Amino acid sequence: MNKPNQLRMTVYAALFVALIAIGAFIHIPIGPIPIVLQNMFVLLAGIILGPVWGLACVAIYLFIGICGLPVFSGGHSGIGWILGPTGGYLIAYLPAVVATASISKILGQKFSGNVIAMVAGSVIIYALGVPWLKFAFSMTWTKAFAAGMYPFIIGDCVKVIAAAMIARMLKPVVTLQPQNKTA
Amino acid sequence: MAELTLFTYRKGDSLLHLLDVRCKFILLCLTSICIFKAHFSSVFLFIFVLIFFFINCRINLLKNLSGLAFFLLLLVLMFISRSVALPGDPVFTLFDISVTKQGMTDGALMVSRFFTIMMAGILFSITTRPASLKNAIQWLLKPVPFVPEKRVAVMVSLALTFLPLILRQANQVSDAQKARLGNLNKNPVKKIVRLSIPLLKKTFVSADNLAFAMEARCYDEDRTDPEFHLSGKEGLFFIGGLVLSACLVLY
Repeated sequence: MNKPNQLRMTVYAALFVALIAIGAFIHIPIGPIPIVLQNMFVLLAGIILGPVWGLACVAIYLFIGICGLPVFSGGHSGIGWILGPTGGYLIAYLPAVVATASISKILGQKFSGNVIAMVAGSVIIYALGVPWLKFAFSMTWTKAFAAGMYPFIIGDCVKVIAAAMIARMLKPVVTLQPQNKTA
Repeated sequence: MAELTLFTYRKGDSLLHLLDVRCKFILLCLTSICIFKAHFSSVFLFIFVLIFFFINCRINLLKNLSGLAFFLLLLVLMFISRSVALPGDPVFTLFDISVTKQGMTDGALMVSRFFTIMMAGILFSITTRPASLKNAIQWLLKPVPFVPEKRVAVMVSLALTFLPLILRQANQVSDAQKARLGNLNKNPVKKIVRLSIPLLKKTFVSADNLAFAMEARCYDEDRTDPEFHLSGKEGLFFIGGLVLSACLVLY
């Protein structure tokens, strides 16, 4: 990758770090449970930035959260929040973003391919988040699923479709143009 | 922005404000890990130490507890589920669910550990300037192989500058939607798309402009390392922190 593109990717990845942090604060009221856009931005980061920069972006988000910047949901931060009952969802962003980016790349970044990739990413987030919740609260599996997954499934379907539409519209805006710049 | 600024840096000249950020960060990590081995006596010792620093920083914790409501609710849930789930001597039974003594003790211990870590983290965020935190991140990542620490530091500071910008634009977009009766739309997909697309387009355009501006000013990753100012009390704090961690593990 040439130098100007590397600089642009750095800026874009930093932008996604900020978007993921903001995503925890933007609520869209639909039904009884407000939708939080955070995991949508994580999956979008995977699709738009690709596996390597996507992973870097999520890793930096988690890292600055651990370091004490208030970027986790509700303005929280610190290693305690990661180790706390909902920490599994945060840790799961790392494998989820890589999986989403890779699947979307393999499937050729089509609308349907992106949907499949993001569903896979969401599944990974729950596959890590729900067991973590179960052991933190030492509750039964049924209760853990009822508290940590079922209420969010409809919202996640909405988010995945919305994210696929956003990715399709955003891709031309964000494509790198190496032909315009000769470094 | 109110939610974001609740636990961010506040000006001051207390002991912790003047302490070198690297020292603070290492001690925070050390105690956060050690506390998972701790029992009641050492957790209370840690809480007393934290209360001393809160008073030293002149921060009224009780006033700020409302911002922690969600976290406190999680802790209460954790306590209840622990005290119900663990087997042991029942204290009282309600609808076939017995609350056990062992469960309550275990739950209280877990809750107090998480609460203490949270307090320590808040204290750290309040007394640390984001810029010096960025410097500390760069310093800490230096020995880690395959991680370009200077680029990470740049990304962190860029992300911090983007945060208020995106929040302002999100508010603008949602106000514009409301002015056009966009909030009456019932379709959730359309709702998200109509909020996100203008927001993302705007932010990407400003990110592009920023990249061009950096390029035009000959931005290069090879920059001078940040400087750190020691307050002279780091050794004392390190010894204190090590003693405290030892107490946490042993008692």
